[in-house]
Amino acid sequence: MAAGGAAVPVHGTGAARADGTARLRRVGREALRQASAVGISLFGLLAITFFIGRMLPLDPVIAVIGDDAPQSTYDMVYRELGLDRPLWEQFAIYVGKVLQGDFGLALNTSNRVADDLLRVFPATVELATVSIVIGVGLGVPFGVIAAVHRGTMIDHIVRVVGLIGYSAPNFWLGLMGLVVFYAMLGWVGGPGRVSVFYIDMIEPRTGFLLIDSLLANEPDVFWSAVDHIILPASILGYSSTAYIARMTRSFMLEQLSQEYVITARVKGLSRARVVWRHAFPNIMVQLVTVIALAYAFLLEGAVLTETVFAWPGFGRYLTLGLLAGDMNVVLACTLIVGLTFIALNLISDILYRLLDPRTR
Amino acid sequence: MRRARTILVAASAALAVTSAAAQAQTRTPRDALVMAWNIDGILTMDPAQIGEVVTDEIVNNTCDPLIFQNVDDPARLEPGLAERWEVSEDGRTYTFHLRRGLRHPSGNPVTAQDAEWSIRRVLYLGFGNAAQYTQWGLSKEKAEEQVRAVDEHTLQVTVPEPWPPSLFLYVFTGRQGFILDRKAIEPHVGTRADGTSDYGNGWLRTNTACIGPYRLTRWTASDTVILERNANYWRGDVPLRRVIIRHVAESAAQRLQLERGDIDIARDLNAEDLAAVEANPNLKLNAALRHQLYYIGANMDHPILGNDDVRMAMRYLVDYQGLERTVMRYSGRAWNSFVPQGAFGALPPERGLIYRLDIDKAREYLARAGHANGFTVRLMHGTAFPSPDIAQHFQANAAKVGIRVEIEQMASGQLFSRMRDRNFELAFLAWSPGYPDADANAMRHVYNPDNRPEARQGMFLSWRASFYREWFNEAVLRARLIRDEEERKLLYHEIQERFMREGPFMYNFQQVRQLAMRNELREFKHHAFKVFYTTARK
Repeated sequence: MAAGGAAVPVHGTGAARADGTARLRRVGREALRQASAVGISLFGLLAITFFIGRMLPLDPVIAVIGDDAPQSTYDMVYRELGLDRPLWEQFAIYVGKVLQGDFGLALNTSNRVADDLLRVFPATVELATVSIVIGVGLGVPFGVIAAVHRGTMIDHIVRVVGLIGYSAPNFWLGLMGLVVFYAMLGWVGGPGRVSVFYIDMIEPRTGFLLIDSLLANEPDVFWSAVDHIILPASILGYSSTAYIARMTRSFMLEQLSQEYVITARVKGLSRARVVWRHAFPNIMVQLVTVIALAYAFLLEGAVLTETVFAWPGFGRYLTLGLLAGDMNVVLACTLIVGLTFIALNLISDILYRLLDPRTR
Repeated sequence: MRRARTILVAASAALAVTSAAAQAQTRTPRDALVMAWNIDGILTMDPAQIGEVVTDEIVNNTCDPLIFQNVDDPARLEPGLAERWEVSEDGRTYTFHLRRGLRHPSGNPVTAQDAEWSIRRVLYLGFGNAAQYTQWGLSKEKAEEQVRAVDEHTLQVTVPEPWPPSLFLYVFTGRQGFILDRKAIEPHVGTRADGTSDYGNGWLRTNTACIGPYRLTRWTASDTVILERNANYWRGDVPLRRVIIRHVAESAAQRLQLERGDIDIARDLNAEDLAAVEANPNLKLNAALRHQLYYIGANMDHPILGNDDVRMAMRYLVDYQGLERTVMRYSGRAWNSFVPQGAFGALPPERGLIYRLDIDKAREYLARAGHANGFTVRLMHGTAFPSPDIAQHFQANAAKVGIRVEIEQMASGQLFSRMRDRNFELAFLAWSPGYPDADANAMRHVYNPDNRPEARQGMFLSWRASFYREWFNEAVLRARLIRDEEERKLLYHEIQERFMREGPFMYNFQQVRQLAMRNELREFKHHAFKVFYTTARK
């Protein structure tokens, strides 16, 4: 497929340079194609969101002026928001501004959407990252163990626990978690990102409170942040654990029934070695896809969990924008979600190449 | 064995330490008031634009108006930034004398020019709050002559009619009556889309610049609001140094925080959680009857709903007393009139609550209207409590008399927008008047200046419902000019009793503001219109 000059060995420095240039050009072309594909996807995503959004019977003007403003004010703000123009023109203006890096103002918060996103997205990334670490840290070993002990009690327990994690609503789990671990036992912090004593103490640099508090050398704030993130992250991590464990189990079962596993066992290798050193590396590629998807799902923001834990994250921001008919917020968030998926796709592509010898 | 025991001991020690750490952190700071509240509604801090309760409460604790409402009785007016005022003999010119020597937090003196600019900008910007002035005949076209600073300490306001002062002066107690720091705002003035000045509206979205007990130091949307006490406040320092409002949307989460002592007040508890608070010896409830009314509004253009007998039938389809004991136990008092209890001109309780659930009576009225077999009608409502509860209750009772109610739930923005377009049949909504006088709601619910669709008088609920009757228009306008209080009250009683039979709105409850708080918090005061952070102590 990737034939051409590179397939034929050519000697000499001139040839090597020509070969190098060709490769460079090819890589450049490939990158350009990728970039334009990304651009077109994002544009399509924006267009669809915009037109569907504008067709919803939501009126952003009322949100701005209040319910009892006179009609003249209504009309003026209607014009100010550009709603009197044809849809395609509104869209063109919006895209033009986005290309200049201007995402407009958010009606709900009165801030620039870009500033809001710099605040809410890191909050969600922080939560999602801790959650996925928990999800992978528990889900993969559970899945492998369940596969190895297929049909035994251990397998059943992992399956049932997984099923609960997968099907119990996070909203309910969150509330139960708060009742038990916050209100009754007092092991973790309550809703919010940090205790009331530390609010406003840390100047956001990265937006990740765990990192910012360490950068500011405030260990108390750091521990308070840990105290507050641990429960929501565990709840979210639990449902990814369930998903990851289930997938790991079925990938492993497939590998464990392969002949090379039997051969390895016959050769006298220990079971642990066969499982972890022979079978497990072979499911890595599939596992990366599953983990990337689970992570992307978490990055979209879990609205209900964010609501229960008063977590000022991306999911709630998008939902509130949507309910207020605030298209600036909805479109910018759609772009972020689109970019997240594309970025995670790219990363898992790169990981494939590293993990799968056939693609090297 | 020994190893296992060591591990066990270490684990319990760790557990004890973490629990102790958690316990130590559960108290709120002694000099701060910490509240959990759903603050998603905050849109702007500009007093000219604010239109919802959360921000209204915040700015009322950061900005002083010309005239204060007494902390215990909203109908009692007290000197604010104006130390005294007088009314001219013809009753049209009000002269306010501002206190001398006051300074904004920026250090700029508080002047009559500030007051002039602050009032005019409300009119120029024309948001909902401008109606508080325009309904008395002030207008943006005439603002320059109607609102004038005579000198640095004297402000004159001239109105076209000799309104009763007890009525008109309320306008200076609310957010439209704040004196803003003009000099501090002017460098931030921008322009609007039509090229006119924005009078600092853009900057004031996220800033406050006025004289008051607290100042806003941080607002992070859907997360936190922090107020800090202003040192050297002219009425003396307030007891609590800081007010921290944390955004928590979930009732159950708020309750857990309150029980653990991580907050002092929970603002959005549902009936179940309020009951738990009531039963908890460490916590208490503190209620005030607000003037907000819940009602089901009917569109008079509708061929069936326009019939007075049909609406009479519907008034008998709500179990006011039953709901007051259950769903609305903590959050509402049953009420059928457009003048809320506590306002000037309100009916006495036995005349203001005259309906009850009565299926036979409803059938009777339907038969009289010629709809004995019922009909189908759409009822729209918002998502917030108690809209879904009352809508479903009404639907169930209506079904008993053959009225098939199709319920449509939607976001509040959409709901208001549909009302303003007269695009509805029945709608469940709430309305808060601006001041404690019958006139406030009479002017919006009863009086309709122009019923033509193209008049687009969306700020009048009567116009939205296409309700237009000459007698009511004339009576409402007459009442607001009567200077004899007794005579004015009697006329309002008459208007209310007729409106309860003929009006398009079927009022059912008056809202109660229920604050759930820790026992340690003392002297926290609130009344129908305002919540004061300034009196609270721990």
